[in-house]
Amino acid sequence: MSEKNREGKRNARDRMIEARAAEEARDRRKKKLVVGGAVLAVIAVAVVIGVVVQNQRSKPETPVAAPAGAIGDKSLVIPAGPADAPSVLTVYEDPRCPACGSFERQFSPTIDQLEDQGKLYVNYHVVSFIDRSLGGSGSKYGANALACAQDAGHFRDYHDVLYRNQPDETSDAFGDKATLIELSKQVPGLDTPTFEACVNDNKYGGWVSAVQQDFDKSSYKSTPTVLLNGAPVYPKKGDEQISPENLVKWVDQANQGKTLGTTGSGGQSPAPTSTAAESNTPPSP
Amino acid sequence: MASQQIAGPSAAGRLRRAVDGPAAEWFGLVVRLALAVVWGWAGLAKISDPAEAAQAVRAYEILPESLVKPIGYGLPFLELALALLLLIGLGTRIVAVISALLLLAFISGIASAWARGISIDCGCFGGGGTVDASKTEYLQEILRDSGFLLLAAWLIYRPRTKLSADAWLAA
Repeated sequence: MSEKNREGKRNARDRMIEARAAEEARDRRKKKLVVGGAVLAVIAVAVVIGVVVQNQRSKPETPVAAPAGAIGDKSLVIPAGPADAPSVLTVYEDPRCPACGSFERQFSPTIDQLEDQGKLYVNYHVVSFIDRSLGGSGSKYGANALACAQDAGHFRDYHDVLYRNQPDETSDAFGDKATLIELSKQVPGLDTPTFEACVNDNKYGGWVSAVQQDFDKSSYKSTPTVLLNGAPVYPKKGDEQISPENLVKWVDQANQGKTLGTTGSGGQSPAPTSTAAESNTPPSP
Repeated sequence: MASQQIAGPSAAGRLRRAVDGPAAEWFGLVVRLALAVVWGWAGLAKISDPAEAAQAVRAYEILPESLVKPIGYGLPFLELALALLLLIGLGTRIVAVISALLLLAFISGIASAWARGISIDCGCFGGGGTVDASKTEYLQEILRDSGFLLLAAWLIYRPRTKLSADAWLAA
């Protein structure tokens, strides 16, 4: 009897302990689910917010404003030389890229001459990706200043001046707007209050980003990328190394039997006339 | 021989105590915070320029163009969320599992780029995109990510750490 009673008590106690253990296990599972759910919710919310915010922050691929006279369906390209020249040289370059600097120092006199002879129309894509790997803003501000110079009708000269005075790749001298304005003094007629405001306000920042995004999506991966009538000529055209002499030769070969373009514009960026109406500074002749 | 038999279990016991004891929970705290710093740094470095983040993803030439922007835009925030959760120590094991999966994805991506012979920066801590072939650092990048993977693995193995929301909730 007493034996049975004791057994019954023990069973009841065991059941209670078991029930409590089961409850605790349930609680632990519930807690785990709640924590897991909270963790996944935090992550999901963060990612959704991130995508939305970055979408809003990202600059459009079609720029809201482009410098006067820019060409192409999104106005991302700056032209130099006569538009009716029989050959087109397409150049992708970054103001901070050292290889672009040495390309320009070696080739810009030749290219300017080919433009002035009506032989060559040059399309510049002013890209700005060196800032990404090296930090700073020299590529972006430099590209913006070039767009400002285009607005003023002095792209070609300012472009040549910038590359002649290019700092070391790791130095971010072009990230200093005062340096960009100082260099503009080497181009007669460029340093005006309009130009300075354009540089200081980073007026074409959106355009610069759009040009870079266009380059990002292209199949070209490095600068300078130089194409003559669509075919790569840098550093080589076929087996032939590029040189000023070879470039002239290739252009002449491509132009054989074709009418040369209009000369006399001084090769100066398409002296923007009607398109520069909103600008207060007419391009100097 | 005899001494070896004694030394064996006692060394194992010491190891067990070290792995389970409070010292391990302090060590876990250090690991957790270290991984939080890694994710926080990686996330912040990718936020400032959305176009750059998208290009870092595009440069791997793995994902279709339609996914390049969502991943480029969302990834830094995923990393920041992981950093935040590790910092407060909430759901440490789940977060460590997600961290490990993410790191494995990164390592495979870098290895794949290396194997295909394309020249990119991993864009792990900002930057990214195509670089000169002489400037690729695939081995260093993979080793670094493998080190981070070890941190995550430890937290999967021993998610209980000092000064964590998990410990506070369990109390």
